[in-house]
This record gives sequence, structure tokens and C-alpha cells, in this order.
Amino acid sequence: MVRLEHVHKYFNKDTQREVHALDDVSLVIEDGEFTVITGTSGCGKTTLLNAIGALDSVDSGRITIDETEITKLDERERAALRLQDIGFVFQAYNLIPVLNVAENIGFIMKLQGYHHEAIEKRIREVAMILEMDHRLSAMPNELSGGQQQRVAVARAVAAKPKLLLADEPTANLDSKNSQRLMQMMKSLNEIEKTTILFASHDDYVMEMSRREIILSDGHVEKM
Amino acid sequence: MFSLALKNILFYKGRTLTTFLLSLCSTVLFVVYVAFMDGSHESMLKNSLSIYTGAIQVMHAGHYENPSYDTLLEDLPSVMQTLKEIEGIRASTPRLESFALLSSEEDSAGAMVTGIVPESEVLVSRLKEALVKGRYLDSEDSNRLYMGEELAKRLGVDLDDEVALVGSATDYSFAAERFQIIGLFKTGLFEFDASSAFVNKAYFDGLMLSEKMASSIVITVDDPEKAETVAEKISKELPEGTEVLTWKKLMASMVQAMEVDSLFGYISMGLFFIVVFFVIMIFGFINISGRIRELGLLRALGLRSSEILKLLLLEAAILAFASVLAGTVIGGYLAHFYELNPIIIKGMAETYKAYGIISDEVPTRFDLFTIAWNAMVVLLLNFLAIFYPVYYIRQFTPTEAMHHV
Ligand SMILES: Nc1ncnc2c1ncn2[C@@H]1O[C@H](COP(=O)(O)OP(=O)(O)OP(=O)(O)O)[C@@H](O)[C@H]1O
Ligand SMILES: [Mg+2]
Repeated sequence: MVRLEHVHKYFNKDTQREVHALDDVSLVIEDGEFTVITGTSGCGKTTLLNAIGALDSVDSGRITIDETEITKLDERERAALRLQDIGFVFQAYNLIPVLNVAENIGFIMKLQGYHHEAIEKRIREVAMILEMDHRLSAMPNELSGGQQQRVAVARAVAAKPKLLLADEPTANLDSKNSQRLMQMMKSLNEIEKTTILFASHDDYVMEMSRREIILSDGHVEKM
Repeated sequence: MFSLALKNILFYKGRTLTTFLLSLCSTVLFVVYVAFMDGSHESMLKNSLSIYTGAIQVMHAGHYENPSYDTLLEDLPSVMQTLKEIEGIRASTPRLESFALLSSEEDSAGAMVTGIVPESEVLVSRLKEALVKGRYLDSEDSNRLYMGEELAKRLGVDLDDEVALVGSATDYSFAAERFQIIGLFKTGLFEFDASSAFVNKAYFDGLMLSEKMASSIVITVDDPEKAETVAEKISKELPEGTEVLTWKKLMASMVQAMEVDSLFGYISMGLFFIVVFFVIMIFGFINISGRIRELGLLRALGLRSSEILKLLLLEAAILAFASVLAGTVIGGYLAHFYELNPIIIKGMAETYKAYGIISDEVPTRFDLFTIAWNAMVVLLLNFLAIFYPVYYIRQFTPTEAMHHV
């Protein structure tokens, strides 16, 4: 369970260009949710996801994932938390260019110290769900945009994170590929019970998700 | 981590290739260059020593700085006996030097006339090999002179001609005698050839009243590098009042000239290395700044920044070690090869004779210690070159890095 309490985040604080990117955000995301955060461009979706994912610090308020209060962690501990508990899918440039599909999918598990065989097994499992099992030895630059995003999702879920954060995963995809990706993520949510949180203003993503959080100028407008 | 580093190296071919080749070539060049430099210095020195000076000389204290008849070695037989029992000495021979005036019918010139023991002199110097006309001295010779070719020219004399010697004996009494030239020599050391003449010491001692005395005892050792240790042993065995000098002191001006020459060699190598350093650094920098996004991703995924640092250093280290190792092997092989099969430049000996070069072969010195420190220098260069790029990348937070274009 993810809980945010009165979270504030500023950029360029105390300068002319100060932006109040998150303005008193409080919300709860239960395990197993399939939720989208939406809102106009610049409303703070990415900032919110990065805060929840311990990628960025916040200025005040409290964020807890299960029992861990991530707003209290230092840089090292946040890196460890990202590695252990959180899966990320970014809008683009998700893959490590020197590793092939299978190695990209297994990368996090390898860092976590899983046994070689366990990693192999899990790579095949998630690659199957995301229909990438036929391209396991391909390099990222040999893949289409949709395939790259599917590999990114596969990597994010391979290590069974507590939470999968996807920041506009469909933004660079055509509608057919977007639908395909969303369907696969939905099945992951159902089969593996992965908690998935999107940031998106893609209609199809909003349609598929079970809950919608609307942000406006950094504060929650609708939950 | 290691395999990721390796994959990055294989993936970013441009940087890998330039860095690898550059570092490899520098290593090869450095190793070979130093091998040639050390080799030619060493052989110049060895040749010079072997022509006349020897590795060690024993003298009466003060004689080297201020040679005079007051500082001659005495009781020569017992000193020679002592020397025979010291380990590491290959051969030794006494000399009695005397500055005298030589005159022919045409001209006269001051010369260093030296009494030598012909049969043991051949063991420590190349006087006999330097013969160009007539014959070398032998132990039966009386008033016979073995003279430098240039000196003979100055006096306007040739083989079999007679010259008159006027000088002073060791008791400062007047000494004069007529000598017949039985041989002419040419060592290539011009000054030496123009001012030296040799006499059988056994005969000379009678004229100079110097029986059982010598100006110096010249010693050759098995290994000139160890001359110092042998010299120490000699000092301990000989009575006080004797001075033992090694080639480092005897050839001080030549050793110094070589050090200066080496210094210039290292400076020009250093300039070359500065260029290499910057090229490696620039390629490292281009590579890493092109990977800011990728490295940001790694951090977003949960790698600590210290692990990113480790990754980048590892990449540099693999590249550096591989290229320096390859360079060292190639350079070392070349040095070794050329030591055994020297490059031959026709006419070199003729041109540079005065510098102690006596063969057309370009001498090369293969020395593992030297090669090792050469390799360390290039290795260090590689590591220093990665610091700035790594420092640069560390100022980005993961989110900044991910948005970097
Ligand atoms: N690094 C930053 N420095 C300064 N301001 C920033 C930074 N990142 C975001 N902002 C500002 O914070 C606000 C929220 O940005 P954020 O990226 O979270 O919006 P978003 O909802 O993800 O928009 P989009 O839909 O375009 O991705 C914006 O006004 C943006 O200009
Ligand atoms: Mg955004």
C-alpha cells in the first residue's frame, strides 16, 4: 500500500521561477490497483510518480510504501528501495543499449542477486506474457518502439516489485500498439497481482484503468 | 558488473578502438624508445670504459683530483696480490703515468707517457685492438713506444722513427731517453689518440725510478652495474690512504651528459604523453557524456552512484590493462628482438666514433624493470584521463540525467 500525506514539492524554490509542482497531495493506493494519474501537461504527473518511486525527494509531507517511510531515506537507501521494490517504465529510452532483450529483462533480478536459473525461467515467463519470447536475443536498437516498451515492462515486472510505475508508457506508440501494451499490462495486473500506477493522458489508458486520479496544477482534483 | 563493463567496451567501438590503439602505441613506443636510449647510453659507456678507463681504478688518496708523483701507489706487488683474492674482479693492471715532452726532428709535443704491463693491459683495455700499424708492446720491450696515431702526426713521425723523451723521474730527477716507435694506435677518442704514448712498464720503471709504484691500478669487473659493490670490497681490503673510484666517478662528465640526454628524451616523451592523455580524456568524455541518459537510467533502476563510478572505472581499467599489456608484450618483444638482432646503420660507427660508438649496430637494452615502469606510466595516464569525465557525470541526479539530451 502506498500512502501520501500532504506532500509538497517545489522546483527552483525561493527564486523568480519557483514552481509548486505538488501542492498538498494526499492519497492512498491499495495493493493490486490498476490506476492512472491524469491531467493536463505540466500538472505534476511525472513529479508525483518520481516522488512515489523515490527518484526525487519532496519538500514536505510523508510518503510510505507498506511500512517504509521513503521520505526519510537517504540517497543510498532510496537507490536500494528502487532496486528492490519498484519497477519503472519511462516514456522512452528505457533499455540498456548494450544488453539484449533477455539481459535487459533479467537485469534487475541479476542486480538483486537471483540465481542464474531462476532468472532464465522468469525471463521466459514474462517474455511470454508480453509476447517478446521470440526476440530474446535481439538488441534494443533492433526493436520497434512498441517492442521496446514491452521489454521495459517485462524488466519492470520480472523482479516482482511491490509497485510498477509507468510514466506515459504509450506516449510514443500508435493506438494499436498502445492497446496491445495496455492489454498486456492489464493481464500482468490480473495474473501477477502487480500494483500498477500510470501517468498518462492517453484515452485508452484511462479507459482501461480501474481508477482515475486527476491532477491539476499540482493538487488532486478528483480521486 | 564486469560483464556489463565489458559489453559497454565492445558496444562503444569508437572510444574503445581509439583508446586501445593510442594506449597500445604509446606503450610500444615508450618501451622501445627507452630501450634504444638506455641501450645506446649503456653501450657508449661500456665502450668508453673498455677502451681505456676500466670499471674501477685504485689510486693513492688524492691522486685523482691532483695527480702528482707524491701520490703514487707503493708496494705494488702486495696490493696486486690483495686484489687477486677479491671476488668479482675479472682483471687488473697497474699503470704509471708521466707527463713528458716528446720531440722528433721536426717537432715536439707534450704527451702522457704511460708505463703499462702489456700482457695484463690487454685484459682491461682495448689498446691492443686499437693497433693500426706496427705491433703492440710486449714484456721484453725496452725503449719502444706505442703511440697514438694523432700524436705521431703532430710530431711528424711514423713507424720505426725515433723520438726523444724528456721528463722527470718519480724522485723529480731529470729523465731522458730515446724511444723507437714500434706501433701506432687509434681508439677513435681524438684527444686520447693525440696525447698518449705507451711504454713497457718494466723498462719504464728503470728510467722513472718507479719500481713497485703505480699511478693507478685499472680493474675490470664481471658486471659493471655492480662496480659499486666490488669497489666497496676493495676499499675494505686495501690499506688506508688508497682511494677506489668507480666508472661513475671516473666518467662523471659522460654520465652527466647521458643523464641530460635521457632527461630530454623523457621530456619529449612527456609532451607526447600529454597529447595522448588529452585524446584519451576527450574520447572518454565524449563517450560518457553521450551516455548520460543511459547512466541516469541505471541509477533510476537502483544502481548507486558509487556503482556507476565503479562501472566507469572498470571500463577504463579493462581498456587500460588490455592495451598496456598488449603494448608491453609487443614493445618488450621488439626490445628483446633488437637487443639480440640489432638494427644496423651503415657508417654510424665511423661518424660517431668520438662518442664511443664502435659498431654499426644500434644497441638496444631489454630490461624488465624498465619495461615495467614504462607500462605503469601509460597505465597511470589512462586512469588519470578518466577522472574528469567521471567527475562531470556525477553532478547529475538520475532524473536530470534521464532528461538530458
Ligand atoms: N527539473 C525541473 N525544474 C524545474 N521545473 C520543473 C522540473 N521538472 C518539472 N518542472 C515543472 O513542474 C511542473 C510539473 O511538471 P511535470 O513534469 O510533473 O508535469 P507532467 O504532468 O508530467 O507534464 P507532461 O504531461 O507534459 O509530462 C511543471 O510546471 C514543470 O515545468
Ligand atoms: Mg510527465
